[in-house]
Amino acid sequence: MANTKRAVVHNDPGLQPERTDLAWRRTSFTLITAACIFLRWVPHYGWFVGTLVAASLLVALGIALTQRRRYHHHASGIGGAAMAANVRGTAAIAGSVVVLAGLGIYTVLYLPLQR
Amino acid sequence: MSAYEKAHNTSPSASSAPDGITAAGDSSGTEAAGADSGQGGGRQGILARALGGGTDPDPRFTLANERTFLAWIRTSLAMVAGGIAVEAFTSELFGPELRKTVAVLLLLLGLVTGGGSFFRWLNVERAMRRQEPLPAPLLAPILAIGGALVAAVLIVFVIGRSA
Repeated sequence: MANTKRAVVHNDPGLQPERTDLAWRRTSFTLITAACIFLRWVPHYGWFVGTLVAASLLVALGIALTQRRRYHHHASGIGGAAMAANVRGTAAIAGSVVVLAGLGIYTVLYLPLQR
Repeated sequence: MSAYEKAHNTSPSASSAPDGITAAGDSSGTEAAGADSGQGGGRQGILARALGGGTDPDPRFTLANERTFLAWIRTSLAMVAGGIAVEAFTSELFGPELRKTVAVLLLLLGLVTGGGSFFRWLNVERAMRRQEPLPAPLLAPILAIGGALVAAVLIVFVIGRSA
C-alpha cells in the first residue's frame, strides 16, 4: 500500500486499471453487505456468526488496503512493466467466499437456534 | 484480440511501450517478475506453476479476465447473501424445512460459483498464455440450473400453499 509515492499515468484509453480497481471496490462493498446480512443471524445463532461478520469485514478491509498497490501494479503493466496474473489475490477472494458459504451452510444445518 | 485492437484503435505495441508510464516508481514489479520467471523457488514458484508456462498475454486481457472473475465472485456473494437473507427474514412466511432448503440451496450455489470462478479464471489465463481458444464457461449452466431449481422450489411452495 505504502510503496506508491507518485501517481502512475498510463496510456490506455480503455481505462483498464481504473475499471479493474472499481471492480475490486464493488467486490469489497458486496462483502460489507454480506457482513451486514450475517449480522441479522447473530441474535439467533450467537457468537459463531460474529466470526463470520468479522471475517467478511476483514476480507473487505484487505481489499481496501491493497487497492493502491494493485492500481499501481496494473497501470505499470499497461505501460509495459512486468505484470503477472494476480493468482494470490484471486485465490484468496475465491477461498474466502467458499469458506463463508461453507460456514453459512454449517450454521443453517447444524447450529441450534437461540431464542 | 484483433477485434479489441480494432475497436479501441490501439496497436499491441502501444501497451508494451515502456514510455506508457510517465511518472512511475518501479517498486511494485518484483512480485510479478518473480511469478513470471518461473524459476523462483517457494511461493513464487508455486504461483508460476499455477499459471502453467507460456508467455504473458496483453495486460489488458489479464485485467479483463480479473474483472470477469470479480463479477463471478460478486454473483456468488449475492447467492450467499440471498441464502442468509432467506434464513434470517422469512421465518413468518416459510416453514423451517422449506426455509432451510432454499437457504442451503442458495449458499451451496454461492459456494460452487465462488470456488468455480477461480478455476474459470485460471483456465482462461492459462489459455491466453498459450494463445489457445478460451474454454467455455461451465459455471454459466450451473448457475442457470441452480437458479431455476431454487425458483422451482418456490413455485411449488406457492402453488401448494394456495391450493
